[in-house]
Amino acid sequence: MSDHTATMPMHAAADRRMKGLALLVAAAAGASVPLWTGNVPFVLILASQAVIAAIVALSLDLLMGSTGLLSFGHAAWYGFGAYLTGLAAKMLTPEMLLLLPLTVAVTILLSAIIGFVLVRQIGKTFAILTLALGQIMFALVFVMSGITGGEDGLQGIPVPTALGFQIAKPAVWYWLLYGILLASLAGAFHIRRSPLGKSWLAIRENTERARFIGLDTGTLKLLSYVVSASLAALAGGLFALFNGAASPDMLNWFESGKVLMYVVLGGVGTIIGPVIGAAVFTVTEHYVSSVTNSWLIYFGGFFVLIVIVAPGGLFGAGASLWARITTARRGASA
Amino acid sequence: MILEATNITKHFGGLKAVNGVDLRIVPASIHSIIGPNGAGKTTLFNLITGAITPAAGTVMFDGVDITGWSPERLAKIGLARTFQRTSVFRNLSVLENIALAIRSREGLSRSIWQSVRSEEAIAAEAMEILGRVRLRGYENSKAGALAHGYQRALDIAIGLALKPKLILMDEPLAGMSRGDRETVAALITSLRSALGVTIVVVEHDVSMVMRLSDRITVMQHGQVIADAPPAEIRDNEAVRKAYLHGSFAT
Ligand SMILES: Nc1ncnc2c1ncn2[C@@H]1O[C@H](COP(=O)(O)OP(=O)(O)O)[C@@H](O)[C@H]1O
Ligand SMILES: [Mg+2]
Repeated sequence: MSDHTATMPMHAAADRRMKGLALLVAAAAGASVPLWTGNVPFVLILASQAVIAAIVALSLDLLMGSTGLLSFGHAAWYGFGAYLTGLAAKMLTPEMLLLLPLTVAVTILLSAIIGFVLVRQIGKTFAILTLALGQIMFALVFVMSGITGGEDGLQGIPVPTALGFQIAKPAVWYWLLYGILLASLAGAFHIRRSPLGKSWLAIRENTERARFIGLDTGTLKLLSYVVSASLAALAGGLFALFNGAASPDMLNWFESGKVLMYVVLGGVGTIIGPVIGAAVFTVTEHYVSSVTNSWLIYFGGFFVLIVIVAPGGLFGAGASLWARITTARRGASA
Repeated sequence: MILEATNITKHFGGLKAVNGVDLRIVPASIHSIIGPNGAGKTTLFNLITGAITPAAGTVMFDGVDITGWSPERLAKIGLARTFQRTSVFRNLSVLENIALAIRSREGLSRSIWQSVRSEEAIAAEAMEILGRVRLRGYENSKAGALAHGYQRALDIAIGLALKPKLILMDEPLAGMSRGDRETVAALITSLRSALGVTIVVVEHDVSMVMRLSDRITVMQHGQVIADAPPAEIRDNEAVRKAYLHGSFAT
């Protein structure tokens, strides 16, 4: 028994180095997108949308993948961030260094209040209430159509500035969004390895046991909910400023469902999986939907297939394949 | 008394699962609770540890009225438990299972930063606890991959990591081989002598209970039918009857 545990740290270190290298290469590849799409601004815009979708998926994974809480209404916070930022940009200032912190601060407050009620519900009730929350936010856009623009969406959001400089060029936008994605990823990985992240995982694993070792599961779940909501709202705010408009579709259950699918497809709790899942499927969705109107059928079918054959998501499947290959190689060399 | 439960009552619909139970536990003792299946032993544990709230009665722990307290609050003041159905964090490493409890005890569970030194100190303490329950060498295994007996030992170790004054163990020997039972029984005795922790055990193996305990409480139909040292329990008429009814599991 102790034989192979003693040698494990070495393999683990080598594995970590490989993974670090792979992440670095992937990060660099992502950052290089504007360099080779320079003359096709449309591709860059699509890539930017993929990055935003990735941030939203990451935000949901911070909830689902950490504490195991299943949200069917995550678009509520994405859309809330978009409308709040858009409205503030129109009424107060186009300075995003004020707008985005404002959006995050308001979301922290509101999601703490709503989350306080939600996280005290168990399992199914929580999921159903999140769905209801999404639909309430959706309905609010229509109820307050005087200021939100109702069905037409919120139009005429001014071009934002950062420290007074206008952010308008697609490449600048892309790098800005991409930088925020990388920072969020780094934050998510850091939290995962921190005591807080480990306490979250304990809740996902076994909430009852967690309570009996003294973990305040209510507060911990609330923290995870607030972090998740705030990041989703930040992504929504970024989208509104990037796009110059927000639409009620952003709040719809359909949007929530899509984000949920990205996370499941990518691999719940893997952090990087949902990010890749969201990016890949945003791009795929664009091209496939321009070819056929029934892309949703293919997407749904693919989703069902993945859930059945690779319940750990694409990233989970990839990781276990990788583990099998490396152990086979190790076995051969030993 | 480290624990003093008075007139504890819980009914499920018409079923009097726990009905006016008194329980007094002497500090640093090993106190067993025995009784047929369905006697209300687990429910009594649930009532004491805050999993469910009693309909009537009070629980005093270490001089504090803890009636209706939540499990997380009780864990923080030194009341730990293990579960009849083994309850560990299955997909986490054995070491992490213990580290979680240590961090919780130290109030670190919510921090988003931890120094390498504190992490190493926690790992070192966790290894020491694992040594105590003979799980050293398995620290990197997933908890769910351990054999049944080892998972039960881990369940106890998680409780110990809270440095409790009192630990309640719900059938720690259930489903174990003879050898494993002896090992865990020896562990329970050693915990009391080495750590001075008070232990309340629910157990079916009567001969084991007789050897292990300073005092035994016998429950039947949600009530206490006897509460005495082992020698007296052996001669108790009501307890004999419960045996004769054949409802004791072995
Ligand atoms: N949550 C519950 N709801 C309804 N009945 C319960 C519940 N928990 C326990 N019971 C019932 O209470 C009685 C006592 O159960 P329990 O405390 O588990 O007994 P023991 O641990 O002594 O075997 C049993 O009849 C059981 O079916
Ligand atoms: Mg029981």
